[in-house]
Amino acid sequence: MREFTLKSTITYKVYRQLLIILEDFLSTIGDIVIYAGKVISFIFKRELAWKEIIYQCARFGVSSLPITLSIVGMSSVIVAMQVAGEMVKQGAGNFVGMLVAILVVREAGIIMSGFAIISMIGSSIASEIATMRVTEQIDAIRVLKVDPIRYLFVPRVLSGILMMPPVLVVSSLVGIVGGGIASHLASGLSYRAFFESVWSGLFIKDMNVALLKAVVFGFTIALISCVCGYNAKGGAKGVGEATTKAVVWSFVGIVLWDLLFSIIFFF
Amino acid sequence: MSIEVKNLIKRFDEKTVIDNISFKVDSGEILAIVGFSGSGKSTVLKLICGLIEKDGGEITTSGDIAMVFQYSALIDSLNVADNISFALRERKDLRKKYTEAQIRQIVREKLALVGLSGVENKFPSELSGGMQKRVSFARAIVTSPNIILYDEPTAGLDPVSSTLIEDYIVRLKEETHAASIVVTHQMSTIMRTADKIIMLYNGKVVFTGTPQDLMRQDTPYTKQFVTASLDGPMKMLQG
Ligand SMILES: Nc1ncnc2c1ncn2[C@@H]1O[C@H](COP(=O)(O)OP(=O)(O)O)[C@@H](O)[C@H]1O
Ligand SMILES: [Mg+2]
Repeated sequence: MREFTLKSTITYKVYRQLLIILEDFLSTIGDIVIYAGKVISFIFKRELAWKEIIYQCARFGVSSLPITLSIVGMSSVIVAMQVAGEMVKQGAGNFVGMLVAILVVREAGIIMSGFAIISMIGSSIASEIATMRVTEQIDAIRVLKVDPIRYLFVPRVLSGILMMPPVLVVSSLVGIVGGGIASHLASGLSYRAFFESVWSGLFIKDMNVALLKAVVFGFTIALISCVCGYNAKGGAKGVGEATTKAVVWSFVGIVLWDLLFSIIFFF
Repeated sequence: MSIEVKNLIKRFDEKTVIDNISFKVDSGEILAIVGFSGSGKSTVLKLICGLIEKDGGEITTSGDIAMVFQYSALIDSLNVADNISFALRERKDLRKKYTEAQIRQIVREKLALVGLSGVENKFPSELSGGMQKRVSFARAIVTSPNIILYDEPTAGLDPVSSTLIEDYIVRLKEETHAASIVVTHQMSTIMRTADKIIMLYNGKVVFTGTPQDLMRQDTPYTKQFVTASLDGPMKMLQG
């Protein structure tokens, strides 16, 4: 017969598992805050690995643009197709462009870009740094007395901050143009009518907020992905777990930021 | 004196992995740390080079410490030249100290020292295991360290590559006059490189002596180790 002890009860095991999850949750938040501080301090001290920064920025742009353009473009095509026909029928064809512009600039452009960047850039940052961790490359960097935060984190976070706004601008433009084409094809709305009304949907404040969001999201995604990769443990399994964690935390992170921005700027 | 370890203790969770060990290594001397897997050899090296924190005892080292990792640990996004010159370009006190031409010259010299040339622009994945290991030697010695730590430098290499690596370990000691520690469980590496040996088992030193003392097999531990026997005081599959 098995010995009955407190440690063998289901309640104890569930309770223990929950504690482990809570501990991991809190320590991840702590790490994100601490590393954010370190990264920002390197940026302000201008202690930068320039070659690596340029390389990371180029990589960010090249690998994120195709997917971001497709996703933002397609989202606004879908919306335009859904609403253009109905609006034209109701005599509100003149507002389709405005609606698409507001939608893309305020929300769809940035959030869809964010999701695309997480899946493209965030996952690759996390898996790369996690692989460097489990193959002792990070230990090697530390033994050579080079700060891994300066060498690995700062260039990736900077590439997020610097590249996300231009990527957002290009993808939003593509989204609005795509919406115009879709409205034209789906309901015969003239390009002229569409683009004239786009102007009335573009507000300076919306655009500024969107660019600010782009900077904050780029920072958040890159930083969370670096931290999750850096804390990876174990072999191939650890790399997989770190990548999943980076993607999930980044998603939650940017949605929370989005909520906060909505409350601050539009409430 | 280049490395002095006194009453070193390291625990992971509740488990004592390094249990009160002491040793010294002079400059120009090679200490082999031997023992079966899980006996704590890598942990000793990581404690010495500061990758992990000790829980007790003292570690005194003089000068720069270099470490050669078991699986080379070359940065796979950098080519051979950039791996070797990594510390010269990125380390705070060395950054901007050398010109590009000087860096290229140093890289060429260090590569020649480990018998490689013309591989500067290759990436680590394009090299064999033995060549990666030699590149990692070159990277480790680029800052002219006073202490070189090798973690299983010959594990997983064919016998000829092993011999080559063993020769380079001895040669680097002669060139740099560094104090070296070689972690290994390979007899050829022990015999060809070590000036003295300590054997670890469960985090404790169970034998200290020269390669000749080891070969005499006059303790239960040395006998079991040299004959690679399952019978003896050291039990595998523990913990
Ligand atoms: N980071 C760590 N966390 C927990 N246990 C560890 C860690 N590193 C090593 N250990 C344990 O310490 C013991 C010694 O490991 P190690 O020094 O790698 O042995 P060796 O190099 O002799 O094979 C092993 O039982 C190993 O499981
Ligand atoms: Mg080991």
